[in-house]
Parts: sequence; structure tokens; C-alpha cells
Amino acid sequence: MSKLHRRTFVATLAAGLAGAGGARAQGGTATLGILTALSGPLAAPGRFQMNGFNLARDELNEAGGIEVGGRRLRVELKVYDTRGNPAEGASSMQRLTTVDRVPVVLGELSSGVVPAVAPIAEENEVPFIMTVPTGPGLTKQRNRWVFRVNAHNDMLGKALADFVAQRDWKPIAFIAWNNDAGRGGVRGMQEALPQGFPIAYTGYFNVGEVDFSAHITNIRNSGAKAVMLFMDEEPGSLAISQIRAAGLPVQLIGTLAMGSDRFLARLDAQRLNGMVQYNAFPPNAPIPRIQAFSQRYRARFNEEAHGFAAQSYDGLMVAAAAIRAAGSLQGSRIRDALARIEHQGVTGLIKFDAEGQAHPPVYVTEWCADGKRSILYPAELAAGCGAG
Amino acid sequence: MSRMAVLAFCLAVPALVWGIAQGGLPPYLLHILALACTYAIPAIGLNIMLGYAGLVCLGHAAFVGLGAYTLGILAVDHGWSFWGALPLAAVVAGVAGGALGAVTLRLRTHFFMIATLAFGLVLHAVMNNWEELTRGPVGLPGIPRPEGFTLLGLDFAFRRLPDFAAFAVGATAVAFAISALLIRSDFGRMLVAIRQDETLAAAKGVNVTAGKVLAFAIGAAIAGAGGAVKAAFLRVSAPASFEYLEGINLVLIVIIGGAGRLSGPLLGALLFVALPEYLRVAAEWRLVFFGVALVMLMRFAPEGLAGILARVFRRRAAAA
Amino acid sequence: MLAFAEQAVNGLMMGSIYVFVALGMMLIYGVMHVLNFAHGALFMLGGYVAQTIFMRVFDNYLLAVAGAVLFLILIGALLERGVFAPLRGNLRNQVIASLGLVLVIQNTVVAVFGPNALQFPVQATRATVQLGPLSFAVQHLLIIAVGAACVAALFAFLHLTKLGTALRAVSQNPRGALVVGIDVEATHKLAFALSMALAAIGGALLGPLFLVFPQMGDLPLVKGLAGIVLGGMGSIPGAVLGGLAIGVIEATSTLVLPTDWKDVVVFCTIVVVLLLRPQGLFGLRTRDDHG
Repeated sequence: MSKLHRRTFVATLAAGLAGAGGARAQGGTATLGILTALSGPLAAPGRFQMNGFNLARDELNEAGGIEVGGRRLRVELKVYDTRGNPAEGASSMQRLTTVDRVPVVLGELSSGVVPAVAPIAEENEVPFIMTVPTGPGLTKQRNRWVFRVNAHNDMLGKALADFVAQRDWKPIAFIAWNNDAGRGGVRGMQEALPQGFPIAYTGYFNVGEVDFSAHITNIRNSGAKAVMLFMDEEPGSLAISQIRAAGLPVQLIGTLAMGSDRFLARLDAQRLNGMVQYNAFPPNAPIPRIQAFSQRYRARFNEEAHGFAAQSYDGLMVAAAAIRAAGSLQGSRIRDALARIEHQGVTGLIKFDAEGQAHPPVYVTEWCADGKRSILYPAELAAGCGAG
Repeated sequence: MSRMAVLAFCLAVPALVWGIAQGGLPPYLLHILALACTYAIPAIGLNIMLGYAGLVCLGHAAFVGLGAYTLGILAVDHGWSFWGALPLAAVVAGVAGGALGAVTLRLRTHFFMIATLAFGLVLHAVMNNWEELTRGPVGLPGIPRPEGFTLLGLDFAFRRLPDFAAFAVGATAVAFAISALLIRSDFGRMLVAIRQDETLAAAKGVNVTAGKVLAFAIGAAIAGAGGAVKAAFLRVSAPASFEYLEGINLVLIVIIGGAGRLSGPLLGALLFVALPEYLRVAAEWRLVFFGVALVMLMRFAPEGLAGILARVFRRRAAAA
Repeated sequence: MLAFAEQAVNGLMMGSIYVFVALGMMLIYGVMHVLNFAHGALFMLGGYVAQTIFMRVFDNYLLAVAGAVLFLILIGALLERGVFAPLRGNLRNQVIASLGLVLVIQNTVVAVFGPNALQFPVQATRATVQLGPLSFAVQHLLIIAVGAACVAALFAFLHLTKLGTALRAVSQNPRGALVVGIDVEATHKLAFALSMALAAIGGALLGPLFLVFPQMGDLPLVKGLAGIVLGGMGSIPGAVLGGLAIGVIEATSTLVLPTDWKDVVVFCTIVVVLLLRPQGLFGLRTRDDHG
């Protein structure tokens, strides 16, 4: 390439960036950075994540914005699409921290993107708050700038493993997405189950694959008493309908979003009856903060609240609380405020440990015959049908 | 390349690298530049296969992945330095490329495309499924940037973004120089002869198979080195970076830039990386735009950007 | 043994979907000698169009399928005219343009319909049939039946009608066909229309059984390609048997190997077939690719 053209190219690019950079925090606004997936296979969970962020932003602004050093700043979000790709994530993080100069970045869905994003947050001294990725190792890279509000795979698995062992559902089988969520979930569960607990079958399927007949045949032949599904609502509903249609006499065990009315709408009470699942956010739990959030969410989006939305809502609220406590839009001060913060969120108390990991409660809910859920775990929050 | 051009290249590149390392450029621009380099290096390798030898390989991302994981596993699990692992990354990918070439090159165009696509899909599955070695879909985190060293009394460092961007540009220049020397050599002329008329080349005594296998091995080795640079840049090696769509992206880069032209992969990588970044505001529409641009280019300017530029220059020269 | 038989039946069901994709690609390949990598995206588009018509316009499954077929034929005509015909004779550019089309179609669908999977609830197809100890969804059987009917109709068309004969003539020897006065241009358009119709039917059939989502065509595309290689490039019976065989191979492989390696089994099968018998099991074509 000739030098002349390289120069014009760089000039054009720089001009474009200057235009984009005009949106940075100035006047009465605080612009916070968001990483999510707006396209690609992770776009569906990405929408719930964005709903949570948007709701939190609007509530903050309706309440007059965030007070920082005597000024009230309106909250704006700068959203970039990482499509679950580490390189896209790194570029987005670089752009948020050095062009948009946001004081804090939130979000992301894919555990594979975070290791590419986190070092850039560290280099540019901007805290990064995860609200969905569940890879347990993400908060163990000795990076002081990384925080996570949601429970990771090992924490989720622990809650359910005690329960599975107690009810003696053995041997157990797994059907899981062949991605970070699915494989990580299986791994977390295997580690949490008691030593030597028999696992009859582990079947992985690609994201987008929807025919479970091969797995069902293998599970039938393996003699498993229970099947645990590590996937989200869409394939989950298909797997359950196919397992039920095949007449497999197994206990169904589900994951995050499978204890919800949205999930019920995809299937029916009869097929879900008796299924248990872990859940970070039972939308109907008789807990005032959860019910209030569910109501506000329904009023805004006309649908049942989703766990990813609740976690992301909490993430933005924690960031706002940290900015308020720091009294500054400086990343390092916000980081220090986050490390000390105790925030009563929708999903529970958010307080980060030394690794930046919060420890929200994890629930286990069970489907009742009438299409409602009961809460089985944690014991102090246990409640009958209609609560979960 | 004329002697003047070689001289200009040898002077301009160190000057450019030095200029970038001074750190005057905005970090985001440096980041995009380094990212473009991580695409340009594998694309330079692919251009040797696709542009000069005429082999449309749809699984090129697998070679990039082999390099990235070689560096990742050696550096993270076995404490190797980047400089020790880099040649090995190139060798591992090159051997894999030579082996794939040896078994698939007798296939005709479509079969060859499908076989290379299948190879890419298999390697992606291995990266994703062999958790004991690769850590699975979450990826191998914590890959270090290249270590600094002192040479001829000068300190070289690579951890900071400006330094790494300078390193990436330098590495791209080296890959470019290798491909330029190769193409201008007897070997390069042999490849072009094979692409133009395989039967005639064979009749004239050219060992067609050996030539193609070697082109494949060299292209893959350059891709493997590019993979190591990419892993060191992103500091993680995850299967998502090497899925089959990334392999197709590399083909698009070479074609858009101009296959069979030395500057093609560089132009293509800059456009491929910078244009979506520039259009970032448009979210999913940016990919639609990119697809439309690609189809239009195929329709109206299949010789790629390098071809268009060459045409413009020629016309201007003729007018003057 | 029962497990093997059961997995083989499971495989036939998925295999029927691969047959739809493989046949559609093979028709275009036959006359135009190009693999359209956008076929999976068009298959997905067929599912979306059928779903939209069914949920918002007619509430009649048959009309929805017919609407999807018409819509895709229209799109196919545009693509043939605007993209593939002008690039004729340059295989590489055609393949690359088709890769660009994947980006365009998939992301336009995301932008228009949103990224979520859509439900396509056709009640009549939700029932199950009991066969001994096993049960199968009616939609599964419908896919197999419609697939068989389409294959039969296609064979009848190619062998019993004048147009079909012209199509075969062009695919066997384009220059000879031109000499005997066949309108080669017209056969290209015809092949495209048939291919698009198959894609639309396939997408519309798969939707109710599962869901309609932007990536629903990706795996069928790759598996359909595998079926084509196995059956032999350019052979229509080969595409049918190859597609079914891929379905059976991947389902039965899960009896002996972990399921996450089943795609590896399929792709290794392709490479092995290509090396040992590059013309595939039924491939008759000896003509070189050009481009």
C-alpha cells in the first residue's frame, strides 16, 4: 500500500472517531459503557440484559440522575455489540475506555469474551462489572478492576447438588449446550455433586441444534433417573417437550430461566409438573424487592421479568451507587467504592469479595401441578406453590 | 520489487514502527491497527494459497487457531517465552497445512473447498471439546504479551499498547516481505504458472503437487505465526475466534483487498477491521452493509481494492 | 440392536432435512456448476416467511408454505439475475458472492424479525404416534413423507417432462444442449426456482417441529454439503441417499462416541470419502470444475 493512501485512510478513520467521541460525558450527563450481544446466537439473552440496563437507566433519570459532587448527572448508556467474539469485545472495550471515556463498563454475556476485555479495563483503569457470564475462573485472574454481580457456575451448581444428592436422583444424565454456558454448567455440577455420584450420560449439542431424539434414546438406554438441562429457554422447551413425548420416566432438572411463566407459555403445566431448577431470580417470589421489580418490568416491557434483566439492573444500580459514593467519575475512585459497597439489589445483597465476586442467593424452585412454582431452597425463603 | 522499492520498504517500516511506538496516536487507533495486523498476517498466508496458487481454502482460521493455542498452551501451562513459542506456532501450523495439502490437493475446486471447510470445523470442535488441553469454550486466558529484551544497547518492550501495536506492524511487515520475496522468486513464478495452466506447467517439468503442498505449508505457517500474534494481542485464545465464519472472513479479506496482489491482504484487513468499527453505530445493519459491499465488489470489481487502485494509478499515469 | 434401530430412525428424520438442503444445492450446481453457500440462509428465510404468513395473515399451514415458496422463488429470481448470472464462468467469484449473501440475508432477518427464536405452533402437527415402545412426532413423519413426495415429484419432473429433460441435458452437457436448441438461460432460472422452492418447503417444515431462528439454516447447510459429497457431486439420487446417510451416521455415532464429537465424525467422513472415492458413492461426473 502506498504511504499516501495509508495517510488518507488514517485521517478518515480518525475523523470518524472524533465524530463518535462527541457523545462522551459532558455537561450534565454520565455516559456508562455497555457490552452485550445485539446480533449473533447470543442476541436473545442480550435483549434481556439490555432491558435490565435500560430500565435501571430510566429509573435513575426519573429520580433526577446520579448526584456527583453536588451536580446531578443524567445517565446515558453507550452500547457496543460484541457478538460473543473476543476480538470484538476487546475493540469495544478499548473504544469505550479511550474514545468514549466512560467511567465504568458493564455487561457481557459470553465467558469467552471476558479474558480479552478485562486486561483492557485494567490498563485504562476503568472498572468492569459482569452481569451474566458464569465462568468461575473469570474473577480469578488477579484483576482488581473486574467485578461480577451474578453467581457463577460453581455457586449455581452447589445449590442444586445438595438437593439432588438428598433426593437420591441417581444416576443423573446431562444434556448441555456445547458452549461456555453448557460445558461450564456440567463441570460446576460435577464438582458440586458428592464424590462418586453416578453420572449415566452427558450429551452436548451445538447452539442452534434442536433435535434431541438421539440424546433421548441414549438416556433411555443409560437408565438415568434424572436429566439436567444446561441450556436456555428455547432449546430447553424443545428438549422437555421431546423428552415428555418420548415418555421418558425421568426427573427433570432445569437451569436459570426455566422457572418462569415465559417458560410455561412455551410448554404447559402438565409437562413441567415436578421439574426443579436453580434460579437466580424467581420472578414471583414473595420477597418485596423481587415483586416490585417484576411489576415495574412488566409495566415497561409487557412481559415477565427475566433473571438476566434483574442481574443487569442490579449491575447498573451498583455502578450508580459506587459513582455516588465515590463522588467522582474517575475510574479508580469508582473501583475503590465498588470494592467497599453494600447494595441491596433486586437479586439480593451485593457485596463483592476480594476477587470482585458478589454472592447473591441462589434459589431452587419446583413446578406445581397448576403451572405455579414453589421455592424449595434456600430454606429460609422456602414458600409454597405460587411463590417461585 | 525494484531495488528502490526494497530500499524504501527497509527504511519506511522501521520508521513507521518507531513512530507508532512513540505513543502519539490515540489508543483506540492503535488497537484497531494491531487488530488489523492480526488479520493481515494470516491473510498474507492465505494470499499465497488463494491468490497465487489459486487454492480457495475455507478452513484457514484453523491454522490461525493452531498457532494461537500452541502459544497459549506453551506459555500459560509450560512457562515458555513468547519468542520461544512463536517459531513453534508457525511450525505446528505449517506441518498441519502441509499434511492437509498433501491429502486434499488432488481434489478439484468445490471438493477442495468442502474438504478445507470440514478441516476447519473439525479443528474448531477439537478446540471446543478437548477441555483438558484447551480449557474448552471459555478459552485459554492469561496469555502474556511478548517479553521485552535488549538488543545492541536498545531496550525493546511489548506489553504496552503502543509498543505492541508497533510490534504487530513490524511482524506484518516481516510477513509481507517474506511473501514478496517468495512470490518474486522462481517458486512464486512456478505457482503462478500452475494457477494459469496446470497441465502446461506439468508438461514443462514443474512438480505441480510439490509446489502446491509447499505453498499450502508456507501459507499455513504464516497463519500460525499470525495466530500467535493474535493470541498475545487479545491475551486469550478462545474457539470463538477460530470458527468457520472467521475462515470465510479471511477469504473475504483477501478477495476484497485483491487476491494475487501483494498489497491485497493489507488493504483487505484494514478495510475489514476498520470499516465495521467505523460503522459500529449501525449494529446489525453493519454486517448487512458489509455483505452488500462484498456482493457489489464481486459484481463490479472482482479484482479487489488493490486492482481498483492499480487501475486508477495507471489511468492517472496515462493522462499525465 | 434396538438402540441402533431407534437411532437410525432418529437419523432418518434429521437426514430428510439434509436432503432438502442437499437437493436444492444440487439443482443449482447441476446446471450452473456453482455451490450456493447462501442456501442455508435462504432455507431459514423460508421458515421465517412461512411463520409470518401463518401467524399474521392466514392461519393456514398449507397457504403459509405456498406463500413461502412463492416469496423465495421471487428472491431466487432476483439473486439469479442480479448476482449469479452476471458472475457466470467465474466459480470463485460466485462462491464468494454467495458468502456475502449469507451475511446480508442473516443479518437482515435479525434486523427485521429480531434475534429471538419464533414459535411456529401448528397444532395438527404436535400430536405423536406410538410405534411399539417408541413414539414419534407427527411432524417428524410429515417431514419424511413430504421429503419423499418432493423427491418423487422432482424425479418425475426431470425424467417425464420436456423442461425437466432440458434441465438434465444442460447439466450433462451445456454446449451440446445449446447446439440442440435448448434455452440454457431459461434452465438456469428454472433450476434456481426449483431450488428456492425446496428451500422454502424445508424451512417451513422444520419450523413447526422446532423453532424459527436466524441460525436455523447453518447446520443443515453444512450437513447438506456433507450429504452431497457422500452421495457424489452432481448426482440427484446421490444427494438423497447422502443426506439420509449423514443423518444416520451422526445419530448412530452417539452410541459409541461422546455426542460432542458427532460433527467431527460427519466431517471426517466427508474427508475420508473425498480421499478414497472423490466422485462419492453415486457420482458420475467426470467433468472438471472450471474457475
